Amino acid sequence: MADTTRPVTILISALGGEGGGVMTDWIIAAAREQNLICQATSVPGVAQRTGATTYYLEVFRDKLEPGKPEPVMALYPQAGDIDLMVASELAEAGRACQNGFVTPDRTTLITSTHRFYLLDEKMGMADSRLDAERLEKAVRAMAKRVIAGDFVRAAREAGTVINAVLLGAMAGSGLLPMPVEAFERAIRSDGKAVEANMRGFHYGLSVARGEVVELAPKTRPLPAAPQTAQPAGTLLALRDRVARDFPPATHEIVIEGVARVVDFQDFDYGKLYLDRLAPILAADGGDYSVTRETARYLALWMAYEDVIRVAQLKTRLARLERVRAGSGGKAEQPVIVTEFLKPGLDEFCSLLPASLAAPLLRWADRTGRRDAFNVGLHIRTSTVLGFALLRMMAKLKAWRRRGYRFGVEQALIARWLAAVEAGLTRDPALGREIAECARLIKGYSDTHRRGQGNFLRLMDTIVDPTLARPAGPDTDANAAAALATARKAALADPEGNALGATLEKLGRVAVAS
Amino acid sequence: MERSFKAEVESLRLGNGEVFEGEGILAVTKGLLQSGVSYVGGYQGSPISHLIDVLVDAKPLMDQLGVHLETSTSEAAAGAMLAASINYPIRGAVTWKSPVGTNVASDGLSNISSSGVIGGAMIILGEDYGEGASVIQERSHAFAMKSTMWLLDPRPNLPSIVNLVEKGFELSEASNSIVMMQLRIRTCHVYGRFTAKDNREGKISRNHPQQRPEFSLMRLPQPGFTVPQERLKLEQRLPAAIRFISENKLNEQFPGDLSEIGIIMQGGLYNTVMRVMQRIGLADAFGKSRIPLYCMNVTYPMVPDEITAFCAGKRAVLMMEEGHPDYIEQALNTVLRRADINTRVFGKDVLPMGGEYTADVVLKGLAAFLDKVRPAGIDAVIDTAKAQVEKIAGYKASAGELLGNPVPGRNPTFCTGCPERPMFTSIKLAERMVGPTHVSGDIGCHSFGMYPPFHVGNTCVGYGLGLASSTGIAANFGKRTISIMGDGGFWHNGLTTGVASATYNNADSVLIVMKNGYTSATGWQFLPSSAQRREGLEAQDQSIENALRGVGIKWMRKVNNYKVGSVAKVLREALTTAEKGLKVIIAEGECMLAKQRRVRAEDAKNIAAGRRVAKAKFGVDDQVCTGDHSCIRLSGCPSLTIKENPDPLRRDPVATVIESCVGCGLCGEVSHAAILCPSFYKTEVVHNPGVVERGLDRLRRRVITWLATPPAPPTPMIPGEVGLAQAAE
Repeated sequence: MADTTRPVTILISALGGEGGGVMTDWIIAAAREQNLICQATSVPGVAQRTGATTYYLEVFRDKLEPGKPEPVMALYPQAGDIDLMVASELAEAGRACQNGFVTPDRTTLITSTHRFYLLDEKMGMADSRLDAERLEKAVRAMAKRVIAGDFVRAAREAGTVINAVLLGAMAGSGLLPMPVEAFERAIRSDGKAVEANMRGFHYGLSVARGEVVELAPKTRPLPAAPQTAQPAGTLLALRDRVARDFPPATHEIVIEGVARVVDFQDFDYGKLYLDRLAPILAADGGDYSVTRETARYLALWMAYEDVIRVAQLKTRLARLERVRAGSGGKAEQPVIVTEFLKPGLDEFCSLLPASLAAPLLRWADRTGRRDAFNVGLHIRTSTVLGFALLRMMAKLKAWRRRGYRFGVEQALIARWLAAVEAGLTRDPALGREIAECARLIKGYSDTHRRGQGNFLRLMDTIVDPTLARPAGPDTDANAAAALATARKAALADPEGNALGATLEKLGRVAVAS
Repeated sequence: MERSFKAEVESLRLGNGEVFEGEGILAVTKGLLQSGVSYVGGYQGSPISHLIDVLVDAKPLMDQLGVHLETSTSEAAAGAMLAASINYPIRGAVTWKSPVGTNVASDGLSNISSSGVIGGAMIILGEDYGEGASVIQERSHAFAMKSTMWLLDPRPNLPSIVNLVEKGFELSEASNSIVMMQLRIRTCHVYGRFTAKDNREGKISRNHPQQRPEFSLMRLPQPGFTVPQERLKLEQRLPAAIRFISENKLNEQFPGDLSEIGIIMQGGLYNTVMRVMQRIGLADAFGKSRIPLYCMNVTYPMVPDEITAFCAGKRAVLMMEEGHPDYIEQALNTVLRRADINTRVFGKDVLPMGGEYTADVVLKGLAAFLDKVRPAGIDAVIDTAKAQVEKIAGYKASAGELLGNPVPGRNPTFCTGCPERPMFTSIKLAERMVGPTHVSGDIGCHSFGMYPPFHVGNTCVGYGLGLASSTGIAANFGKRTISIMGDGGFWHNGLTTGVASATYNNADSVLIVMKNGYTSATGWQFLPSSAQRREGLEAQDQSIENALRGVGIKWMRKVNNYKVGSVAKVLREALTTAEKGLKVIIAEGECMLAKQRRVRAEDAKNIAAGRRVAKAKFGVDDQVCTGDHSCIRLSGCPSLTIKENPDPLRRDPVATVIESCVGCGLCGEVSHAAILCPSFYKTEVVHNPGVVERGLDRLRRRVITWLATPPAPPTPMIPGEVGLAQAAE
């Protein structure tokens, strides 16, 4: 049968709040205006609010005429039969490919390349994101033609929602039997946010037509420190030491690391950082990847997040500007900023000398009062008093070295570094795995305690027993593999169930071998 | 209500010959008015909510036509309305989501069916089956069979649907039976057109009330009369229905030249089957098929004579029947065996027993049927069909390979700022204090608490049944149990099946009633306890608190859901207090979507009028955040997400708050109550600040700039090398 009676088939996958329904209405209006035969239907996600909604449309190229037979329109998209697939987000484009709605013989795929993360990706204790690069490559490979761009950003810049941009891309795809003006009139006759929608529409149109459209350059999320201040002499000296003593492959991380710890404490601390790295470097006979990773985690660990550090970070001018920018407030508008802090016994003890702090914490643990003294503070850092309070906390930096926590962290760091060095000497893979264990330590209060606990469990149950045994290729490779497995398990659930199970299993295997 | 239907109301007024354009469910509504209904009732639920919503907005038209609209508190209430048509020649229609709503309504329906009706009585069923369904997967067909109600399943185009609405009322009156019309999700939402007729006013209506009560024992399902009524059903009503269906050609036959085979299908599947046949060259775009088709726009009862006539002389027929059990296929086999017709019946042997019959499923089934029967002269077609099936499988496989792992699903979750989410955070925190316990969930937005990240709710067995479903286990559980109910479920039946019953039986558990002011999941319809009532109804006091006191609740606490810390303490108290009896926590917080719609408009007005408005939003300090994401595990808010870590040393993504944040305050509460981390902050942008505030702000900013921590030393570059920050550009 002739293909002229084939409708253009359009499948749209949008998320809640993206205006998929309005976009469908625009398409219908454009088709109706041209007296074309058009049908649309939709299936909302389970939650009307947050799930993905799909819209399926068919537009016949024939005009509607009285007396002429009307075609039978389908309500279901058919795999392998979609002319135009529109995905408002990259993973949804991937899902469409998975379901057979994007095929290389037929489908033009319009997709935004941004990600709206799934809860599974957000919840992970480390990094559970899908591989966006692979995702994009896959959807590009499956489509006959791709019209892609960061349409969310384009919409934001146009002051509109993504639906207008996607509509423009559809109009520009040349696949629909309606002229561009029909879509424009649909937007105009809708009468809502017309100018912004038209800006978004024209952006999408240009992308579809292959015209190069420059978006404002993406601002780096972390503004680089103001370049006006030159690094002080001592920091330059440290830099020169890095340039002299460390191989180029490690420079960028070691330099970043040393700057971080100097900012955290002082130049001596920076020197200590390099002193601590030296033996690792000496033992590293490979491509220096172990030195690099150790340098990364060492810097993060040495610049640990105590109240002083938090206060320091929260009272920087650059941070104030960032907060203002994020609030959406204009330069002349007052922006009230409230910080949510809840310091407790841990924070208090971190500043006390060890002789007082250690027994106090032991008592608190014994009586279950570790979190009993936390005070919820709402500090308004947009007021002078509130800001000054945080600024004073930041000034406690000078006292930090005398506090309990500083000692605890240094001792743990020393233990970890010694293990990395010992492991590295035996087997680079083992050294690398021991270095990576430091990734487990992060967060605040019980999150931090849990991370530290997991780290210690790995040290006690795998690292130390391995290092106590004589070196051997099997022992070390097994230990490296076990560490990798256990580390993954430690990041699987906050309750530590997976880690417990994994360690038990590993223990049984060790006994069995 | 979520949407205003002012524009759609106008299309309900269209007269003879005018063209109606719009959504399927609104076309049905127009069909009801064209049929002269005098009462309409229903309980909202996807995909039929709009039927009621549009009628709420159409009050002047309803007044003019004398139609009474009942926004019932449950499907049982709605279904019982049809009793009006037992004694009087008055037409009426009710609507709900099926099969769950039909379950709720079925007691009344059974009895009305036994009595029989003299006025046309119709139920519009939103069949929530298949992709995107939010309820258990069952069929409404069973109710039709067991209660002797007729089931319509029209071809999914607007003219057919509206025509069948009108014919359905005639069928109901001709056979004295209730008629149900089943509409699938995609059909309810389909956008199409049909030529309208004038609306009709009922013979009996608000404008022309019935003056005399009618009484007849034969219309009462009382002992001594139910058995004769059953005889009436089988000996009069069923034959009358079959006669009417046949005489009015409600089922359609389409000829085809491949006369040795045929397809019998539910009307609702017609468009899918036609498109699939078009793709393999067995039909054209305008409905001309090579295979003879028998399209059942009435799926119950079956018309045996039509079936035998269609099948006679055919080698094989394919029964396309969506859902299980295969009621129609069984009936078809019985009819053919009785008539001793040896046509082979294919159906669930080449098609899946359960699940939605999508285009892919139909293609596969049709290909398998043709391949097995092999009608003469269409070998090429069969090869095309089989090749298409293989091609699609191949594409799916290569996409799977390219993607690696399948893309995980997007589970439903609470909206940004939803007042119900914090309650689940509180339950999680209370669990940390007193240990986890059994939680009996309920239907409503709050059922999303069962999904990640909360996993709260061990059962979910029916609307309003949260508390009732806990009573068996509560008595046998080592801890006090919790049950949850929304205000929608509370008024639907929870007050009686749950609170009254449990209290009467000395329950000693905890009930949380989520009071957000609307049936939010279905589009913000008002409830008895809503702050407002539907247009045209005067406000009256039907508070949850009074209702609870009335059924003897002593321990009652009202909490503000967003105050997570104190809510967790109230929960702990409820779970541990020595006081016996049912402890009810009324969890207050207006549906945020509804609230935002109101507040945003108010804010815009105030800002335009020059009044001071502070707009709140939350943020995360990405240098302070360590990328542990425990905040997300305790919230799951769509506006709280992750982004690339801007710190070149760190690898794990950091938390971030995106623009959709409405500043509900949960982030701050959680970071306090759970002692999470200090990276959250709240910003309030002040619009139209006064002179004093502006002056103070300028002064503050100057002092703060002077006070601020000196900038971090810039990373010293090694000449000629690229640093990490640059490398990341």
